[in-house]
Amino acid sequence: MKSIKINDVFNEKRSQDLQIKLMAGQNGTENVVKFGDLNRPGLTLSGFFDFFASDRIQIFGLGESAYLSSISDESKENIYKQFFSYQIPCCIFSHGAVPDDSFLKYADSSNVPVYVSLIGSTRLVTMLVHIFDEIFAEKVTLHGTLVDVSGIGVLLLGSSGVGKSETALELVERGHRLVADDMVTIVKTDSSLLMGKGSEMLKHHMEIRGIGIINIKEIFGIRSVRRKKRLDLIVKLEEWNPAEEYERLGLDEEFYEILGLNIPMVKIPVGPGRNIPVIIETAAFNQSLKKSGIYSARELDEKIKKWISKGE
Amino acid sequence: MVEKEVTVTSDAGVHARPAMMIVREAMRYPCKVTLIKDEVEADGKSIMSVLGLAILSGTKLKIRAEGDGESEVIDFIIRLIESDFK
Repeated sequence: MKSIKINDVFNEKRSQDLQIKLMAGQNGTENVVKFGDLNRPGLTLSGFFDFFASDRIQIFGLGESAYLSSISDESKENIYKQFFSYQIPCCIFSHGAVPDDSFLKYADSSNVPVYVSLIGSTRLVTMLVHIFDEIFAEKVTLHGTLVDVSGIGVLLLGSSGVGKSETALELVERGHRLVADDMVTIVKTDSSLLMGKGSEMLKHHMEIRGIGIINIKEIFGIRSVRRKKRLDLIVKLEEWNPAEEYERLGLDEEFYEILGLNIPMVKIPVGPGRNIPVIIETAAFNQSLKKSGIYSARELDEKIKKWISKGE
Repeated sequence: MVEKEVTVTSDAGVHARPAMMIVREAMRYPCKVTLIKDEVEADGKSIMSVLGLAILSGTKLKIRAEGDGESEVIDFIIRLIESDFK
């Protein structure tokens, strides 16, 4: 199971975005979180410690801050003592509300980092949810080439030497956009969505046998590339194999599973005289049609069935 | 399937030329060759894929081969890495 240190969650860039500052508990910034769930501890602060989700990041909104400043010092001490007896990964105060000295002292001695953000609670929570989704998203690196073909994210798979890079090059020539060649990182950004991107280091470089390493962005310009793209279609390029049955009707759909999601797949045999880029373009357009509910093979089949039943 | 581990000792890590040397070795055999660093897998027959692993001096690398010539190709690649690509 993945875990991340608090100070890696709130790195320099994210601290800037979240407008947060560490107020206490410096020694606790090495604490780790294993999931990105958040908790508003309002009820807990009022003394109800049952079901206290202490292992989550605690968000103190205006309500919590106002409550704490309304109670007597004595009851505060009692609450803080009990509150910090739990293993809390970190506390964040929204709206720039700075907690009182006693709170900070308890946080310091129990090694719980306390941050203050200038942002309001709702927006802060939304931003944190996005950050943790990104951190804890499942990902996998595949050997393939990802191209945006007229808005359809097409991942080319196939063994080395089958011509993935050459096919991608021809697609770029035809006005489509390269996302990544040979090494594609797929991130499950949502329960139903896979996003593909390339390595930061290789960025739009490609190896073409006979030429060597080329930079697609420099050769074809900025519009020939894009940084990331949703995965819509898998195209499996295969050496023509007479024993394999290739799809002839298109009535049934084949799928390829990545990170538990099924992505539509077409298998395309590579052989002499076959213009693979045009076939891939067509497969992408066909996928686009299917997404809008138009299944050409099924429609033709329906027409034929109707014609047959009329007995003409 | 054969899998072995090796630590890269070459000072410059695996830049373009060493990557090409690994890929050239892998290409000589019909088997599938995979390089694994921190659970990220790269195709040993693709230069971009090997470069993408960002292998530095000190990187621990797993090499896996499946198919004809699997043990030979692994031995060749390990020897190449251990000799600092000389």
